[in-house]
Amino acid sequence: MPKRGVAWIRKHRLGTAALVLVLFATTPHTGNGQFLDPCCAMLAAGLTTISNTLSNVVGGGLHSILSVEQSISHFEQQVVWPQALISQARALVGQLQGTFNQIQALSQIPVNSATLPGSQQLEQNLLSRNPNQIAQTTAAYNAVYGTVPGETDASAQVRDLVDMTDAAAQAAMKRAIEIDSLADLELQAAGQITASVEDAAPGSAPILEAQADAWLIRANACTQAATADLLRLRAVDLADSSAELKIGASSTANLRQGLINLLQHN
Amino acid sequence: MHFAVYVGYVVLLSLCSSLVMNFRSRRHIVAAALAAVLVVTLVSPPAAPAQGSLITAVQAVLNVINGVIQAALQAISSVRAAVGTFYQSVAWPVELIAQARVEVLQMMNRYRHLMAGILNINLKSATLPAPQALENLMRDHQINNFRGLRQAFTNAYRTIPPAADASPEDRAMADMDDALALDNLETLKATDSATDLELQAADSLENAAAQAAPGSAPFLTAAATASSIRSQALTQKMLAAELRQEAAKMAHGNELRKRGATFTLQLRGVLINLLQHN
Repeated sequence: MPKRGVAWIRKHRLGTAALVLVLFATTPHTGNGQFLDPCCAMLAAGLTTISNTLSNVVGGGLHSILSVEQSISHFEQQVVWPQALISQARALVGQLQGTFNQIQALSQIPVNSATLPGSQQLEQNLLSRNPNQIAQTTAAYNAVYGTVPGETDASAQVRDLVDMTDAAAQAAMKRAIEIDSLADLELQAAGQITASVEDAAPGSAPILEAQADAWLIRANACTQAATADLLRLRAVDLADSSAELKIGASSTANLRQGLINLLQHN
Repeated sequence: MHFAVYVGYVVLLSLCSSLVMNFRSRRHIVAAALAAVLVVTLVSPPAAPAQGSLITAVQAVLNVINGVIQAALQAISSVRAAVGTFYQSVAWPVELIAQARVEVLQMMNRYRHLMAGILNINLKSATLPAPQALENLMRDHQINNFRGLRQAFTNAYRTIPPAADASPEDRAMADMDDALALDNLETLKATDSATDLELQAADSLENAAAQAAPGSAPFLTAAATASSIRSQALTQKMLAAELRQEAAKMAHGNELRKRGATFTLQLRGVLINLLQHN
């Protein structure tokens, strides 16, 4: 039998060599046993170390961050933005809105008092708070205070004075209508802002405050415009007084000259 | 898995052996051998890692945890702690918040009653019954007695003269003057009442400020600013009333001037005629 095998190998040398080569190349690798294998033990030890490290380093670090975050959160909720005080402030704003509505109503109480037709019409125009009524102011004014005298009824100096005084008075009355209307709009805007504040958050309230500040600047400007017109009116009044003196001086000089002429003729 | 690999290996080996035995040409044998090597190589399991590389991998993971991750967590923790410290010591220090509240309370106690006392000083000065009644009504801050105010005004300043006693121009101007004076007195009563409400609102806002937190104060400041707008609006309404009043006063004087000019011209004409007749 062995001789036959050796003989067969000699006869198929090339095939035998190929078979050996195949066997060598395809021999299965040795596998690692799950028991008593040092590699598995090391793997287990490595994983345990990783786990411990994760617990200590990562877990500890996250716990530290959590405690800091909790401290900040507590501070913000108790000191910076306490919900109870925020609700209390909102409730106060709601109460103030009621007070402010009363103020707005007070500013619109009708106060008309004139009894004669001409003065009633002028008074109604002046208290209308409606800028569209300004176009009718001059006619109502003339009905009560008359117009500038004609050229045959007064000197040019007096006519200028009368016209200027009428103009200043009428402009002031028209400005008063404008200011009343603007004040109404400001009251409306203030009401809207207050209503918004009632529903605002601590982070959005400053935005509304900025808007309210802008409206306050606008309101100050309107107050200044009204004050300016008042000053203009008083300036014209002062100029009127001065003009009266000038006219009186001129009339006295004319009278003196007339008397002199009269005496000379006699 | 391993069992299946071994079974496959045995089957493949048997197949190759039988092929080698049956092949006659060298080329067939070589092709079969290469095919077998190729197939086994493709289906063979991947090489197992060495023990040394496992240790290296574990150490690398540990290095990442102890290095990058630990450093990042420490950095985050220290930054958050710094933010917390900043909040508590710079942005919203509790001591200063409490101090501000105390200061608000101190100012309330110091000024509120003082100012109220000044505002409530009695200014009435009339001595006769009719002026006294008018003065009382003018200054009572009430808006439900305008009828009484008008009656008191008429009692103090009398009524418009009847048509038989005065010219239409004089009657119209007197009526207009009285109307604007009464309008403004009524407006002032309403404004006095509104001022009282504004002062109450200011007191409420100040009371709330004494208990406010940084997060609730913006509500109060916004409401206070809106209240300032209303205050300005009321001031403007009073200015408008003053404009009307001053304008009417000037218009009155101007109307007298117009009539004076006409009278002067008429008088001059009369004098000239008189002199010419003489």
